[in-house]
Amino acid sequence: MTRHRGTLRGILGGVLLLTVWEAVARGFSLPAYTLPAVSDILAAAWQHRAVLAAAGWITAQEALAGYAIGTIVGIGLAGLLVVAPLLRGPVLPTAMAINSVPVVAWSPLVLLWLGVGMGSKIAMVALAVGFTVFLSALAGFDRVDRRSVDLMRSFGAGPAGVFWRLRLPAALPLIAAGMRVATVRSLIVAIVTEMLGAYGGLGWVIYQSVTLIDFVQVWSAILVASAISLAFFGLVGAIERRVIFWR
Amino acid sequence: MNRRHLLTGLGAALALPAIPRAGAQTLTRATLRLKWLTQTQFAGFYVAVQKGYYREAGIDLTINPGGPNLLTENLVASGADTFGLSGGTDSVFAARERSLPIVCTGVMHQQTPFVFVARADGPIRTLADFRGKTITTWFTGANFVLLGMLAEAGLRPTDFTMQPQQVSVTPFVDGQIDVVTATRYNEFYTLMTRMGRDKLRVFVPDDHGITFPRDTVIVSEQTARDKPDMVKGFMQASIRGWRDALRDQKLGVDTVMAVAPTLARPHQEFMLEEAGKLMVAGPAATNGLFWVDMPTIQKAHDFFLRNGVIKAPLDLAAAYKPDVLAGIPLADRMA
Amino acid sequence: MKASLRLAGGLLLAGLIWEGAVVVFGIRQSTLPRLTEVLAAIAATPGAYWSGFLRTAIETLIGFAAGTVVGVANGLIFFRAPILRDMLLPIFVVSQTIPVIAFGALVVMWFGNTLMAKAVIAFYLTFFPVTVNTLLGLHSVDPRQVALLRSFGATGRQILFRLQLPMALPQIFVALRLGASLSLVGAIVGEWFGDTTGIGVLLLQAMYNENVIAVWAAILCAAVLGTGFYALVALAERRIVFWGAEQ
Repeated sequence: MTRHRGTLRGILGGVLLLTVWEAVARGFSLPAYTLPAVSDILAAAWQHRAVLAAAGWITAQEALAGYAIGTIVGIGLAGLLVVAPLLRGPVLPTAMAINSVPVVAWSPLVLLWLGVGMGSKIAMVALAVGFTVFLSALAGFDRVDRRSVDLMRSFGAGPAGVFWRLRLPAALPLIAAGMRVATVRSLIVAIVTEMLGAYGGLGWVIYQSVTLIDFVQVWSAILVASAISLAFFGLVGAIERRVIFWR
Repeated sequence: MNRRHLLTGLGAALALPAIPRAGAQTLTRATLRLKWLTQTQFAGFYVAVQKGYYREAGIDLTINPGGPNLLTENLVASGADTFGLSGGTDSVFAARERSLPIVCTGVMHQQTPFVFVARADGPIRTLADFRGKTITTWFTGANFVLLGMLAEAGLRPTDFTMQPQQVSVTPFVDGQIDVVTATRYNEFYTLMTRMGRDKLRVFVPDDHGITFPRDTVIVSEQTARDKPDMVKGFMQASIRGWRDALRDQKLGVDTVMAVAPTLARPHQEFMLEEAGKLMVAGPAATNGLFWVDMPTIQKAHDFFLRNGVIKAPLDLAAAYKPDVLAGIPLADRMA
Repeated sequence: MKASLRLAGGLLLAGLIWEGAVVVFGIRQSTLPRLTEVLAAIAATPGAYWSGFLRTAIETLIGFAAGTVVGVANGLIFFRAPILRDMLLPIFVVSQTIPVIAFGALVVMWFGNTLMAKAVIAFYLTFFPVTVNTLLGLHSVDPRQVALLRSFGATGRQILFRLQLPMALPQIFVALRLGASLSLVGAIVGEWFGDTTGIGVLLLQAMYNENVIAVWAAILCAAVLGTGFYALVALAERRIVFWGAEQ
């Protein structure tokens, strides 16, 4: 019931924003290169739906594949560091050094190494998602109370037992939060990399539209990107709620 | 030295640079948005700033570099920048077609600045050999030039694979693609240094009857209308700067390298030399730097119209303003 | 002292491995240049790299600070006023699905070619994870503890500052560590929109001139800045959340 109300409020907020946007764009008759009206964007999106759907599909595939790889590697690596604390010394600083370089800075190199195809986008997404999830998971695993660990140990539980019974459940909310934040990042990183070099996808449509001075098209591509991101975000959120319900 | 002396000294030190500033109150602030990052392709503008030519023309000019996903036409039309050095005749067409209120007052490169490059020892000897090959090019105008060239060689768009080209020429160097697009002053240098000049076979659009003047100076319609003196002063000062940069190329490179010290000097020297050639070529030889050659532009316009790149004829007289340059004595415009 | 010695040793070792790997495996320069070549490139024009480093650092710090303040404030407001959370959070989520790079021109139009424009982008990327994690952290507080404090006559303000915020801090710091990286991304991407100094400018120039050594030089600068900033945040976390994670 309350969730229902929350959704309604969300819709209300969205409608309010769009109304103000439309009113501003129309009222001040802003040119498309400053801010196109919502209705124009929607019309353009509908008109070019075939192109946008195809581009969106490419970007979504890249984002999903990279997200899956990044999540698995991120949680796996964090779990590994917890089970084998000796690895922390060498792995953590290396991971931090790689992560401290902004993802976008790797893109020229990744494009050179993996080419302009989908591989480079998947790698970039996996990199960005992987670190987000890794940091969340590590923080989650670490937040277990030392005394609880000792208690379980005293009952004869091994490191694996402690991990499955204690650390993983305790880490789940943080991992889930990281995974949710990462959904949005995955789409953006895919798009940004596409803008630097691609054969297709929403980023490529955006790049193309900017150079052809078609700003309404830029916005309509962004619209599709946002819609995909939100669907993805909602999906992960729904899974998260189910998992927490089970707990 | 007591505190008062220190303060007086400080005051004097502050007053000194304030003297020219006081006289400069008549200066109009303006910005120039470049089409790309700082490099010697734009040397003349930096020289003109450094030598104070814009100040002499009453303009306090700031140069803003461009970047990926920044469109000069857009920023000039919206008033974010006063002057712009934009893509070229093609991007001006596109902007005018979408009713962006900008006009072109000068053209830097009189010839098409890009060429199409294949391997000299490869199977491509003529345009007809492009059949079945993979080509990368910029989808910002160069693609249409290529389509036009190949159409005249009897090839249809389905006869070859055309892919977007961004960032790197490495796929071509590594042999993954057959033909690459290169500006004479930039990518071509990279290709030469990595493969050797004799390894490259070059296809020049101008040899096939297609000339696209590029690197256009633009201002908003409003600026052109309300401040014609400033626009004229800007063109004059820019020409002076470019003259110096082309005559003394070391000065041109030094000035740019002072702004962007991490650039590679040999590359920048090559760039200035090649960009300079494009600037004095064709109609500029008789009409001076930045000349807006209406017949060439008309031909480019008709070519785009024929190929459906622009949907309806444009009012070229409203978009291109050669009269700004015509108001400057020819002797002052010659390189 | 010992720790800094270990750090120096680790860095030296990493550098030697880098240098050695390139020489031993004969890696092409366009794939990975030798570390000494990269360092020599920085040493050739130290001024350019130093001023770029400083400039990016300032933009990052301003954006990060603003993002933290606004993010925590958002979290508190949303926690207190669920109606605002329901209405605005979805819009925030949508805002995060927009790749800023697609709107380079808009950023320049709205904020000009100023340092602020970059700080705004850094802020834009930082505030969202902080908002979400603050909210999550506040929600994770055991309601029984709140009830207990309340039964002792604690005011809402006291409960907030004595119980809820401290309990949320570990979660907030996870977001801050993420934000440390994200704000740097924002500053660097912001510099792609026609700036004259900054690591982003150096990166862009190197990338488009296909100067792989300069790309790595810029990446190295970004890594130093990113690692340093991250370490600062982590240090603050250890000092402030001393009761939190236990190792």
